[in-house]
Amino acid sequence: MSYTLRGRLESRLAGVLPAVLAAAVLAARIEEWWPLELAGIMVALGLALDAAVYHRALPYQPGWYAVPLGLLELGLVMAIARAAGVEAPLRPAILFFAGAWLVAQVLGHAVFPVARWTYAEDGGELGRAGPAVAAATLVVLAGAAGVAWATQPPTVRLEAGIHRGPIVIRSAQTLVGEPGAVVQGGIVIRADGVTVRDVEVWGGENGIDVEHATGVVLDGVRVRGVELDGIHVRRGQVTIRDCDIRDPASAHAQGIDISFAADLPASTIEGCTITGGREGILVDMTMAHVEHNTVRATTLRGITMTEMSMGTVNENQVEDALGVGIFCGDYSECEIEKNVVRGTRPDLESGDLMRNGYGILAHFGAKATLNDNFVDASPGGIGAFADATILHEK
Amino acid sequence: MTARAACAIVGGGLAGFTAYATLRGGGLEPGEIAVLGTDPDPAAAWRARAAAIRQRRMRSESDGHCYPRSFPGLAVRSARRTRSLEPLVASACDRYRPSVAEFLEHVDELRARTGWDGSFVPGRVERVRAVEGGFEVGPHGVFRHVFLAPGHPGLAVPDAFRADPRTVHAYEPHDYASRVAVVGAGMAAATEWLNALAAGASVVSVRRREPLRRPLNVPRPLFTRRGLAGYHRLAPAERASFLASLLAPSYPTGTEWDAPVDQAAQEGRFEVSSSVGGAEQVICATGFRRGFRHDPLLGRLVGEHGLETESGWIVLAPDSTVPALTDGTRTLALGGAPAQWAYPAADTLAGAKYAARRFLARCRTR
Repeated sequence: MSYTLRGRLESRLAGVLPAVLAAAVLAARIEEWWPLELAGIMVALGLALDAAVYHRALPYQPGWYAVPLGLLELGLVMAIARAAGVEAPLRPAILFFAGAWLVAQVLGHAVFPVARWTYAEDGGELGRAGPAVAAATLVVLAGAAGVAWATQPPTVRLEAGIHRGPIVIRSAQTLVGEPGAVVQGGIVIRADGVTVRDVEVWGGENGIDVEHATGVVLDGVRVRGVELDGIHVRRGQVTIRDCDIRDPASAHAQGIDISFAADLPASTIEGCTITGGREGILVDMTMAHVEHNTVRATTLRGITMTEMSMGTVNENQVEDALGVGIFCGDYSECEIEKNVVRGTRPDLESGDLMRNGYGILAHFGAKATLNDNFVDASPGGIGAFADATILHEK
Repeated sequence: MTARAACAIVGGGLAGFTAYATLRGGGLEPGEIAVLGTDPDPAAAWRARAAAIRQRRMRSESDGHCYPRSFPGLAVRSARRTRSLEPLVASACDRYRPSVAEFLEHVDELRARTGWDGSFVPGRVERVRAVEGGFEVGPHGVFRHVFLAPGHPGLAVPDAFRADPRTVHAYEPHDYASRVAVVGAGMAAATEWLNALAAGASVVSVRRREPLRRPLNVPRPLFTRRGLAGYHRLAPAERASFLASLLAPSYPTGTEWDAPVDQAAQEGRFEVSSSVGGAEQVICATGFRRGFRHDPLLGRLVGEHGLETESGWIVLAPDSTVPALTDGTRTLALGGAPAQWAYPAADTLAGAKYAARRFLARCRTR
């Protein structure tokens, strides 16, 4: 087909309309914005390529070009989505793109030529229906953007200085700390869709306490001097990024504890640094991904995944732990890959042979799959006890 | 049938047939259309020519059919019939060429389905004249909307060979002598080289210029509004000159064309020459006569109505109608080769639909 510019744009917008409508339905159903964000990127990129590249470079476009051009657009859409921070899961996002591409092909090659006999002769233009269909696509996207804008949680800025806590958050919002903003006495989160960014917390029982809340994001938080958990999550689903937890105020304190959320979507803990405390990161009866964290000088275990938890422990550094570096216990299923565990010390005082300086330990029916980990200066090495199994992938 | 027919198609060949199928697909009943031609088989003339040059595959692609809609084309139908994706993949790569047998089968099927024979009125039309309320079409009456698809006005034979007893036109039935000269450099000439070589003959290719190699006669952008917009803006003299360049002889690239010729050249059975020399047979693969003056019906139409012409072409509006004889109440449109003034690929099956669809719009709304 030799498209005119108008034909390209109208065919593009009409071809993607079913995908945009499907994205709106999907977004409403799963209560996430990524399908619409992805559809918006697809439309914007497609129109830009049509106007700036394809129209000039392709005076004639054979049918088979749809495949390489589709792959090119898929790559660009995914790259833009990633750069823009669109949290689209990879596989569903690719499936969504592929479905949209397929529908557009069927429309362009079969439906439009039947509905409008002169479609090919007109270079892909859709006559009077063209602007209407194009407008409908843009209206749906603009409407979705409007709804997104109108319903986005408010942003609260915390000025520099010490604020007396606990701060209790009971509705969706974004709490952003300006440099030097400190909350003394903790933050309590009791609502879905809360984001806390760049806030420092001093003291209190738990630094940040999340209960019965999902879609919570803790980004760049710092916690100092708490008595129990730096970050304490119960029946919640959280994404914790780039946190820093240290200076525990009691012998019972620990870094992050996420428990009793096996029926909720997986939580993520990534890029955090935890120094001191009994457990560095504890995942209990929960699905979670623990990645790219640094855990130092813990007195019970560095990273623990236990009590029928499932998840990944990847590319973490665990240093100078007492007893056990990484622990997979109590019928949990753990994928443990590319971690560095160094300097795990035997806990001679406990008299417990299972705390004899194990870099990685599986226990009590747990299944740990190991791949490409580096365990150094940890006299126990890698071990399994009480019907636990360790599978070495490499 | 003709008593209440508002639309007439003059010419019962493939262009007229495609126009008929388009009108029927657009909702007109057989009784509303009169087809005036000399042979009830719309493929008769084409069939004879294809048989003469032993054509097995169409040059046109999946869109080269007479159905009113471009989808599903012949590739989709072939894929459905053979339960194979191969025709679709070939079509996506612009490499699908339907066989002549497939094409003719499709014509027969469409002829039966559309009720063509019920609209067909035998007889040669020698005059079309504008009258009050429409056009008087020979002795068949007056019609408001008339589509002229008279076909090619005869075979072109260079004067030098006209009286030569060795001469036969490629589109006339013939066998091959042992030493054959093929005059021309287009698709028919290339086909005749292969035919004659396959029959064991030695071939002299007589040509004035090196043949162009391109998949279709007309560049693809000229099939759509993208290329047509610029084409329609050309001044008449420029457009005539441009058409002349498009109509230069050409045939597709591909080893199926080149390998037998190369092989024969190595064996001394194929050569290029500027004269036929002592060939036993001269095959003129020189196509058709061109220009309205060679067609009695069109020549008379131009003469009686003083229509605008340019270099042998009747000047048409972009929708293939004759501007001086078309208004809100009546339509005179041209299809097939004479309509290349409006649509350069009008002599193809896809091109026949271009004029037919616009004619349909006028028949349906007025």
